[in-house]
Amino acid sequence: MAGSTDRAAVIMLMASFESNSWMIEAQGIGRRFGLQKALTDINLQIAEGEIFGLLGPDGAGKTTLMQILAAILDPSEGACSVLGFDTVKQTASITSRIGYMSQGFTLYDRLTVDENLVFSAKVRGIEGSVYQQRRQRLLAMAGLTQFSGRRAGNLSGGMRKKLSLCTNLIHEPPLLLLDELSLGVDPVSRRELWQMLREFRESGTTIVVTTPYMDEADYCDRLALLDHGQILALDSPDAMRRRGEGSVFELETSRAEEVLKVLADRPELGGVQWLGNVLHILLRPAATLPTDVLQTLQNLGDLHPASASLEDVFVQMTAPETAVPIPTFVPSSPTPGRAPALDVVRLKGVTCRFGDFTAVDNVMLTVPAGEVFGFLGPNGAGKTTLIRAMCALLKPASGEIQVAGVDVVKEPMRLRSRIGYMSQRFSLYTELTVAENLSFFAGVYGIDGSPRVEAIAWASDVIGLGGMEDRQVQEISGALRQRLALACSVLHKPAVLFLDEPTSGVDPVSRQRFWQLIQSLASTGMAVFVTTHYLEEATYCHRLGLMYEGRLIAVGSIPDLRSTLSMEESASMEDIFMAYIEREKESEEVTEAIR
Amino acid sequence: MNWRRLMAVTAKETGEIIRDPITIGVSVLLPLVMLFLFGYAISLDVENVALGVLDQDKSPASRALTDSFVQSGYFSLIRDFETVEEVEASLQRGKVKLVLVIPSRFHTALMRNESPAVQVLVDGTYSATALVAANYAQAIVASFRQPARPSAVQLEARVWYNAPMRSINFVVPGLYAVILMAFPPLLTALALVREKENGSIQQIFASPLTSSEYIVGKLIPYGLIAFAQMIMVISIGFFWFQVPFQGNLGFLLATAFIFVFCTVGIGLLVSTITRSQLTAMLLALIITLMPSFLFSGFLFPIFTMPYVLQLYTRIFPARYFVELSRGIVLKGGGLEELWLNVALLLLYTIAVFWLAAWRFRKKVA
Repeated sequence: MAGSTDRAAVIMLMASFESNSWMIEAQGIGRRFGLQKALTDINLQIAEGEIFGLLGPDGAGKTTLMQILAAILDPSEGACSVLGFDTVKQTASITSRIGYMSQGFTLYDRLTVDENLVFSAKVRGIEGSVYQQRRQRLLAMAGLTQFSGRRAGNLSGGMRKKLSLCTNLIHEPPLLLLDELSLGVDPVSRRELWQMLREFRESGTTIVVTTPYMDEADYCDRLALLDHGQILALDSPDAMRRRGEGSVFELETSRAEEVLKVLADRPELGGVQWLGNVLHILLRPAATLPTDVLQTLQNLGDLHPASASLEDVFVQMTAPETAVPIPTFVPSSPTPGRAPALDVVRLKGVTCRFGDFTAVDNVMLTVPAGEVFGFLGPNGAGKTTLIRAMCALLKPASGEIQVAGVDVVKEPMRLRSRIGYMSQRFSLYTELTVAENLSFFAGVYGIDGSPRVEAIAWASDVIGLGGMEDRQVQEISGALRQRLALACSVLHKPAVLFLDEPTSGVDPVSRQRFWQLIQSLASTGMAVFVTTHYLEEATYCHRLGLMYEGRLIAVGSIPDLRSTLSMEESASMEDIFMAYIEREKESEEVTEAIR
Repeated sequence: MNWRRLMAVTAKETGEIIRDPITIGVSVLLPLVMLFLFGYAISLDVENVALGVLDQDKSPASRALTDSFVQSGYFSLIRDFETVEEVEASLQRGKVKLVLVIPSRFHTALMRNESPAVQVLVDGTYSATALVAANYAQAIVASFRQPARPSAVQLEARVWYNAPMRSINFVVPGLYAVILMAFPPLLTALALVREKENGSIQQIFASPLTSSEYIVGKLIPYGLIAFAQMIMVISIGFFWFQVPFQGNLGFLLATAFIFVFCTVGIGLLVSTITRSQLTAMLLALIITLMPSFLFSGFLFPIFTMPYVLQLYTRIFPARYFVELSRGIVLKGGGLEELWLNVALLLLYTIAVFWLAAWRFRKKVA
């Protein structure tokens, strides 16, 4: 990626000679929705041929900014010019030239691949042989040629994104705005999408892309970190990471209790996380730990500086002024020497079907108490279906499921009081207060009288909800709601806790806090299942199950997964996932060949 | 307006409609269901009213009067009462709707050329039919007289425009307006809001398509569907329900054409002020279906409403078309008689489109 950084620098240098050559120039853009400020004082200059990334959690204002750049939303303050046209006064000149891919899946599902493409082309006056040539090239690039007669609604998430991209490339726009390009796309398709984008960049297309995935940032020449409607930093990915240099340490230790005592209440800390058995220590910007503290830590374990990830930098920049919470528990990893933990979940040959479609295919798995187990995979891989089958919310077509000593298929009702479940959309009653929600869910689990008071006190203490019992849920932030939803699902101290995409839509700082909670619950002996499509979150889990097209294609801790395929230490979670998908595909081909 | 771009929108929309069973169902089946349901169910005709008789005379004359009730075809004799208490109990329970009380000495009085009084008790809980039944009873009693005593003045009533007084002839032409008001706005609003809901409208905004190209291109297929619906219900009304057609078919279709645009335009207007399909549906039903039932004169005559409500009915275009449709189908009216309604409908349609175009901007907020 170093080459692309230089290239961007050169482009920017060249651009600065002629002031009119910016593709996008935003001056003090702000946007309010009612009283809420979605964007404040955004200043941006994007040069021709750049790939520019807008990085930030959900709700940071990325989409609002993209809509302003696409001239389909007027800023409340400031001015913005795109391709040299004013976004408010010369809307039509912009919209007739650019390509803009909005969030989500915005194709016409009932139309075929070809029909979608034809519509997009005709609207832009592309017809005849020019259209035929471009159609061929684009479909071939996207690997969609053989699916041209298929309805868009029947394509996989990755294919739909690629088709969306094609419909926006048919007029070969000089500027491409892509909102949440890779949301709901499997790692393989994601690489293919980026491959397409790089090819178009070669021919001079400028690309602006938003993403909540920090690991995608490396594809960009420059990045803007966006949080609460403001740009925190604007730099190349490497320069961005250099900001966090010297602030990140990792500590491998067997004397965790003592380490935590040393670190408690240190004002220099910006965030402390358990990654498996390793303590990841992030300092505040420009802060250093006193030498005696460093010395103590070195005596307690293997302390070494680590490279800062973009997420580290983001957390560092958004860390609250007040002391950050640090873990007060020791990770419950099943270390050798400890008594073998009881298996609380056993799956044998679990298969779930919807009509002809096999959503979960012959899954085999055992998970001990106290483990944090992560299901990783793109949307549609079968994660949610599998979790629902384990919670007895849907009946598998075949297979055995044992959870907390209960045969789920035969005794679904007995299971309910032993598990906790938190769904993607936190199912809370927004008109009720925090306390009323807790009390209601305690009632649901049949906890009455003084046990109810105790349970609520315990949960709000563990989850950290003290002092906001009387607030209405609709008034509290997304991160707090998430924690409240978690509290509601553990009131009855379940043996197994299921969390379905619990961290989507939450900023990195709150996400880290949430993972601490999950890990601390696990340290009490609860087995925790988490599904996520943030590959980065894999590091918080003891073991992972990689899901792909309904199958569990690999199970193990990250080091295990690496060593099984003898991959390097530096291999990222995405690399690992990709390698296993490749292996899976090869074995499929082999089976085909044998047949 | 660029013709090719417009046609691209129309082609795209048509493709989507053809592959959506729900749209096709709503546009073909629902109007049929509604037409048959209302065509058969809504009958204001009074037939076979449950009749009870308390005959305190038991004479040839009293029996003759009872017979003339039964033979009129409007009444069917359910039971003979012996006492007043029985009458009261039976009316209370709704077993009979109308009771004829013939006093003793009825026959004797008639023989003496006196005018004896008979009593008719009517269950007035459903006032519309009660009134009609009472009128029928009055007419029967009035015509029951000794041939020896012709009255001086005779009333000979003739009903024009709907001579057999079949209420179906009155209901079906009204239904043309109600059906057109019910479905095309709904379909149109849903089609537009669906694109808002799934975000594809943003792709439209960020494209060279102008608002008018998009709107017109999108409305063409729905306008055609609505017009086909119109032709379908008119044909069924004529061939199946045998509603006589007095006027000029071309004139009816021409006014229907304006009305169709009006309804589709209302759908468009609804879509510009709603964000989700659910609210669009509710709003469309509230401003189209409900008032076209209540305030169009379809079932409830407007001239009997309080003055303020009469003004209120003018807000809803169904009213103009109900009058047009009945005026043309039943009365054989032409532009000469109905020009005001045509003009108002036209103005209305223009206003709806003007409002919708003013509301529709190529911006997300």
